[in-house]
Amino acid sequence: MSVKKLFLLVPALAVSLLAGAQNVSDLIISEVMPVPDSTSLVDDFGVRNGWVELFNTSQGTVNIGGCYLTDDRSDLRKSMISTLDRSTRLGPRQSVVFYASGDQSNGTFYTSFKLRPGTTIYLVSNDGRTLVDSLSVPSGIPAGKSIAKFAYDNKAVVFSECKLSDPTPKAYNAGGKAESGAQRLAREDPYGFTLTLVSVSVVFCALLILWWLFAAMFQSANKKHRAALTAQNQKKAQAPAPKGDVNGEIAAAIAMALESGSEDEVAAAIGLAMEQWLSDTVHDNESFVVTIRRDSQSMWNNKALNFRNYQR
Amino acid sequence: MEQIIDSLHQFWQFTGFANCSWQNFVMIAIGIGFITVAILKEWEPLLLVPIGFGMIIGNIPMFPGLNIGIYEDGSVLNTLYQGVKQGWYPPLIFLGIGAMTDFSALISQPRLILIGAAAQMGIFGAYLLSLALGFQPNEAGAIGIIGGADGPTAIFLSSKLAPDLMGAIAVSAYSYMALVPVIQRPIMLALTTKKERLIKMPKPRQVSQKEKIIFPIIGFLTTAFIVPSGLPLLGMLFFGNLLKESGVTNRLARTASGPMIDVVTTLIGLTVGCSTQADKFLTGNSVKIFGLGLLSFVIATTCGVLFVKTANLFLKEGHKINPLIGNAGVSAVPDSARVSEVVGLEFDRSNHLLMHAMGPNVAGVIGSAVAAGILLGFLG
Repeated sequence: MSVKKLFLLVPALAVSLLAGAQNVSDLIISEVMPVPDSTSLVDDFGVRNGWVELFNTSQGTVNIGGCYLTDDRSDLRKSMISTLDRSTRLGPRQSVVFYASGDQSNGTFYTSFKLRPGTTIYLVSNDGRTLVDSLSVPSGIPAGKSIAKFAYDNKAVVFSECKLSDPTPKAYNAGGKAESGAQRLAREDPYGFTLTLVSVSVVFCALLILWWLFAAMFQSANKKHRAALTAQNQKKAQAPAPKGDVNGEIAAAIAMALESGSEDEVAAAIGLAMEQWLSDTVHDNESFVVTIRRDSQSMWNNKALNFRNYQR
Repeated sequence: MEQIIDSLHQFWQFTGFANCSWQNFVMIAIGIGFITVAILKEWEPLLLVPIGFGMIIGNIPMFPGLNIGIYEDGSVLNTLYQGVKQGWYPPLIFLGIGAMTDFSALISQPRLILIGAAAQMGIFGAYLLSLALGFQPNEAGAIGIIGGADGPTAIFLSSKLAPDLMGAIAVSAYSYMALVPVIQRPIMLALTTKKERLIKMPKPRQVSQKEKIIFPIIGFLTTAFIVPSGLPLLGMLFFGNLLKESGVTNRLARTASGPMIDVVTTLIGLTVGCSTQADKFLTGNSVKIFGLGLLSFVIATTCGVLFVKTANLFLKEGHKINPLIGNAGVSAVPDSARVSEVVGLEFDRSNHLLMHAMGPNVAGVIGSAVAAGILLGFLG
């Protein structure tokens, strides 16, 4: 794939991800408290109203502006959530409370209807037709109690149970002790084949993508290298047998010369020359800058002088 | 006189002799064994010496309540152990590894990266076997990661998934990493033909500084977006590498790859060793973990070599890969790459495989961190 296609693909992916992040179907009505008591939540005007809590179950931000709340199945557009307020953008795993004051002019987070036991509350998508979620309020619900959906899987945020509870406005409705991933897998995948298959695929995909990205990004460098290799092979095939290769004896002689205490600069020069001569497997771009740090130890810090002589 | 005898008796109660059991001596003997092997055979001495001595420290029988034991809150050892327990030593070690690692071998031949993925089968093979032996999925995941042949990753994951088994898992991982030449060589020879061992791979191309700088950034973005749960390890690994390759943070890279990793390695080795107290370590589960750890190394090596052999079926002549580098996908940097080099030279004195093997070797580090992230995501 060419680099051009890559550049087209990346923005397309980003756009699709962003589009997914705006999906109102990830919203749920997580809790409803229809009849307030003296301990209930007070709104911005100091009044205790019933309230409806919405929760964003997704990992992305969802804008609830333009969606509707209603308690009447035949009037789905009863109470529209303002589109003009930026605070209607609900972050991942965030909740928001709407006060059922019956007067929407109180603010963005107020509904045009009051809550009554025995009704069902609906959340309607911004098209005004699609039902996103609903929650039925039992008729005999005591004052100060709420009806809430609880998540027993904190990771997947699957709200599996709906029951009466003490109100927890704007808080995550964790249902007691959550099931850990290991417990869930012990139940769903006791032999481990699914996890193995998925994990192996993910590892391969991650590294495959890395390979593909690098192969695509440095295509020209790879091509150049292949061409150089071919040219080198052809040259080698045509050229006469090489003379004067450094054989074992020569290498040993050079090593002995280095060992015999030549000057640092001489040693560095021989070292560099040998590196360039012998390095047929070099693959790094070396700077070939040799820094010589002379041993400047004094009597005080010279390790060798401070060693105790070994008694033989 | 009676008071003196009472005092002596009381003192006796505080001594190790009064509180010891035969299990303590077994563990001390294992610790001494580790130190001996590390000094005489030079098998992973930087790890086996601290772990071995830690085993001795951790198994000195003592009177409980003195607030000195590793499992006693607030003690010095307990404070140092928090780095293992909370999992912040392993990412620091990964920072140092990143600052030491040269990814050129991988960048110049990106196709070799898949060998690193194939060798991660050892992790999942051991996971399946652990489940079959009755371990819980979280324990099986922690045991499986031994197959990643990566000590810090094994400690990181086991501290999150199965803290009770961490001592056995860490010791098992480091022991088998030290035994890589012993375990891998026979498998490599058994699975390859003489003709395959003589395959000469084309010379890798030169890698520019620009590529080396781009690699950690792209590598991190790709892997972290796919497996965010591997963030602590992957982030530190690639960050360390960027420090090394950027060319402008040499001081930081030197510290990360030198003094810092030395300090953390010493502490992690010592505290992991200390955590292997006899009553927690000498159990049937530890024996099973050692067995499964060995199997995971065998599976990883086998899969790496077989993957190369399979890939060669589809590769043109001149582009074939020497299957002797398949073992290097199991991480264990650079020991497994060294095994490839040594075994390769046994059959052709001019066939140097080290630089080729370093590709899958460092890919194995990335692969095992990704695998750990996946397991943590599913089982955490």
